Amino acid sequence: MNLDVLAGCMTTAACAVTQVSTGLIVGMLLFLVASGLSLIFGVLGVVNFAHGVFYMLGAYFAFVTYEQTGSFLLALLAGASGAGLAGIVFERFFMSRVYGQDLLMQLLVCYAAILICDDLVKIIFGADYKLMGMPESFATAPVELAGGFIPGYYIFMLAMALGVGAALWLGINRTRLGKIIRALAINPQMVGALGINTRLLYAGVFGLGCLLAGLAGALAAPVRTLTPGMGLSVLIESFIVTVIGGMGSIPGALIAAILIGLTRAFGAIGFPLFVDGLMFALMGLVLILRPSGLLGAKVS
Amino acid sequence: MRQGLIRDLTLGLLGLALLLVLPAVFPHPSLRDFLIYVIAYGLLAMSLNLLVGLTGLVSFGHAAYFATGAYIFGLLMQSGSVSIPLAMLAALAGTALLALVIGAICVRLKEIYFSFITLAFQMFIHSIILTWVDLTGGDQGLRGGIPRPPFLGIDLGQPGTLYIFCAVVFVLCLLLMRQVWQSPFGYTLRMIRDNPTRASFLGVNVVRMKLGVFVLAGTMASMAGIIMALFVSGAFPEFGFWTTSGEAIFMIMLGGTQVFLGPVIGAFLLQLLNHYVTIYTHHHGLVLGILILAIVLGLRRGVADYVADWISERRRAAAPLGREEGAETAPPTPPAARKMVG
Amino acid sequence: MLQVEHLCKSFGGVQATRDVSLNFPAGSLTAIIGPNGAGKTTFFNLISGQLRPDAGRVVFDGEDMVGLSSLDVVRRGMARAFQVAALFPSLTVREALTAAVTAHQRRSWSLLSRFPLAQSRARVDEILDLLGLAPKAELLSRTLSHGDQKLLDIGLALAMRPKVLLLDEPTAGMGPDERWRMIEKVHHLWRAQSLTVIFIEHDMDIVFKFAEAVHVLKYGAVLAQGTPAEIRRNQDVIDAYLGTDHHLAVAEG
Repeated sequence: MNLDVLAGCMTTAACAVTQVSTGLIVGMLLFLVASGLSLIFGVLGVVNFAHGVFYMLGAYFAFVTYEQTGSFLLALLAGASGAGLAGIVFERFFMSRVYGQDLLMQLLVCYAAILICDDLVKIIFGADYKLMGMPESFATAPVELAGGFIPGYYIFMLAMALGVGAALWLGINRTRLGKIIRALAINPQMVGALGINTRLLYAGVFGLGCLLAGLAGALAAPVRTLTPGMGLSVLIESFIVTVIGGMGSIPGALIAAILIGLTRAFGAIGFPLFVDGLMFALMGLVLILRPSGLLGAKVS
Repeated sequence: MRQGLIRDLTLGLLGLALLLVLPAVFPHPSLRDFLIYVIAYGLLAMSLNLLVGLTGLVSFGHAAYFATGAYIFGLLMQSGSVSIPLAMLAALAGTALLALVIGAICVRLKEIYFSFITLAFQMFIHSIILTWVDLTGGDQGLRGGIPRPPFLGIDLGQPGTLYIFCAVVFVLCLLLMRQVWQSPFGYTLRMIRDNPTRASFLGVNVVRMKLGVFVLAGTMASMAGIIMALFVSGAFPEFGFWTTSGEAIFMIMLGGTQVFLGPVIGAFLLQLLNHYVTIYTHHHGLVLGILILAIVLGLRRGVADYVADWISERRRAAAPLGREEGAETAPPTPPAARKMVG
Repeated sequence: MLQVEHLCKSFGGVQATRDVSLNFPAGSLTAIIGPNGAGKTTFFNLISGQLRPDAGRVVFDGEDMVGLSSLDVVRRGMARAFQVAALFPSLTVREALTAAVTAHQRRSWSLLSRFPLAQSRARVDEILDLLGLAPKAELLSRTLSHGDQKLLDIGLALAMRPKVLLLDEPTAGMGPDERWRMIEKVHHLWRAQSLTVIFIEHDMDIVFKFAEAVHVLKYGAVLAQGTPAEIRRNQDVIDAYLGTDHHLAVAEG
């Protein structure tokens, strides 16, 4: 434990700025993954234990597209839409067959999906680490703020994640389609009776959730190493985020994701060996004090 | 009641005899190794089924206790200051304490939340094992072997003796779990599985009962971990990785949740499968995953439950009308989480 | 035995229970009636500890029960059966009753003995006989007929040796003949076990024939209370609940 170092960092503007920006980036990636997880749970009532797979797919799709075309914009699009399509396929052919069945069966389908996809990625891309590198358009000098340096790409990621989050929130709360989706979460029979294709909607929502995970993976590709199985730790962390923020709440996911991101960034300085422990302590505390999460609806 | 106990003890002795005779009849070392794997993973799956099949709690983080047992036992033995039985007891007690703390948070949660939080805590334990390199050896695992000093004239350094020891412990644990299944405690857990709200209106403290079985299952998983550590003479982070929990769930599913010994059969089948798959391919996950999908989406229930249903169908067709001998038919999978969507 | 004083509960903006004060003397058989949405089941949920009232007291045997969990309420002697029979589908009738009796005897934690415990047997047989379920004791709960499921639900409550028994529509979903058989069983139970019984019922013929007292709820508030004869004549009840058509029918029938 290095409490002195932590205190030193928090009182020095330069170090604090650097750590806050790192924390925010971690938080934004978690927010994107967690809001997809939360959306799927909120509407379909299932937890997608295989959500990390789509984050991984997003990263690898972006990596390949960037290698082939050199365009980072295309890479982002390919990562997000590829993961979204994979999500729709997964929902239609596998997940939808175990709705309403034992949790055991849902768990096993997700478990199988993770095993298969991790192995496929290993076969296609190899088991070794992959580095995508920073896209050229972002290879500019970092922005200086109060003595700390923030890479330009971080600012882009932050804006992107917040923009997507805002669009998602507006889409769900302010549009007709959003209204239908919210109705679907409450009374699917009624929505079906109104002549709306609920299956299509389910697949769409599932795909949208996976698209968000894929976008996070694509955004992470320039700053993280790519490995088969990279989705797992993100899955666990984004689940912690949904628990803390409250299942089904997008603003809650944002707050919790930032909280976890900052905890990780500063925890890494203060308690390098106990960063995970801090996250779990935070989650345990929330579960004991507010079992439904900070902004979640009451769990009955 | 007394009869049931005597019958279980007799069956237990017969099972033990079978386990002891098999390697003598086929004196191939790899058979003995194979059986010890079945024993260790069978015990893990059986302990998990106390939660899944008996109580309707689908834990996705059960391997945490398997790993904890293995590591505590291995570390104590490597310290060289305690005997094997003492280290075993300490490992069981330590795991029970861990399960008590984690369980106290988890058992209040419902269905899906419970699964995910148990998974999360398991990854926490796993990350501790990976990061606390000084103590655990990190991703290399506990190296240097686990010493097996003789105690009470038993030398577990002998492969034959080790096998007998594991078989005896295994059968004892099975008898203990059988007792749990058949006790008033076990039937109260069935009430909780079927209808927790009603159970609480009948004077059952649902949260405390769930915590009780959670600790019990964790302790039993710890015993499985100890057997594993004794056998491989080490402990590795994979013991506590999520895939180990996933495999345990798959074993239960293969063997069926409602047949008492089902998970052991599942463990046997999965070990057999692993054995052959690893001979032919490196892509173990791919094969296993496709197989799981085929079973889950094809049969739509566990293999043993499928067979049990098939047998009872046949029997019903064969029996004359009105004289149904269906007393032994397996009940359907528990309504652990019938989350209806769509 | 059971006094309810100024009980209030609202959900969001809806007041489901408004200042309800009722008294249930020991050994009474009371019906609670009221149109759909009158707050009858909510009232049961409030006094049995499933819901916590916003205000008011529930005094049972001299003790305020507000804030106690359903578990504590059961242990103090108030048991209930549900509108939709709440059973244990994979247990047989005998197993379910035995498990309930075992819970009441505080032996749920018993790990070293075998199920069923010898000490629970007599009580289980007694309940089976009382309800006429003995011939069906070995059937799985989920295979029972609707009426038998409702009986088993009551049997589970009886396993708690309650002083007060709450029955939420014991005759719901039954044909006319079955209803009368059911209510006669309840009446018999009440006599034989010297219970205080409170039941929710829609069939006015049953209410007026069997209940000693009738409490009428409407929009969550007490509209009227009294003996069946008084309720029959009560103009508020006739206007608000029975309607004029019923008025004639009841007056003549």
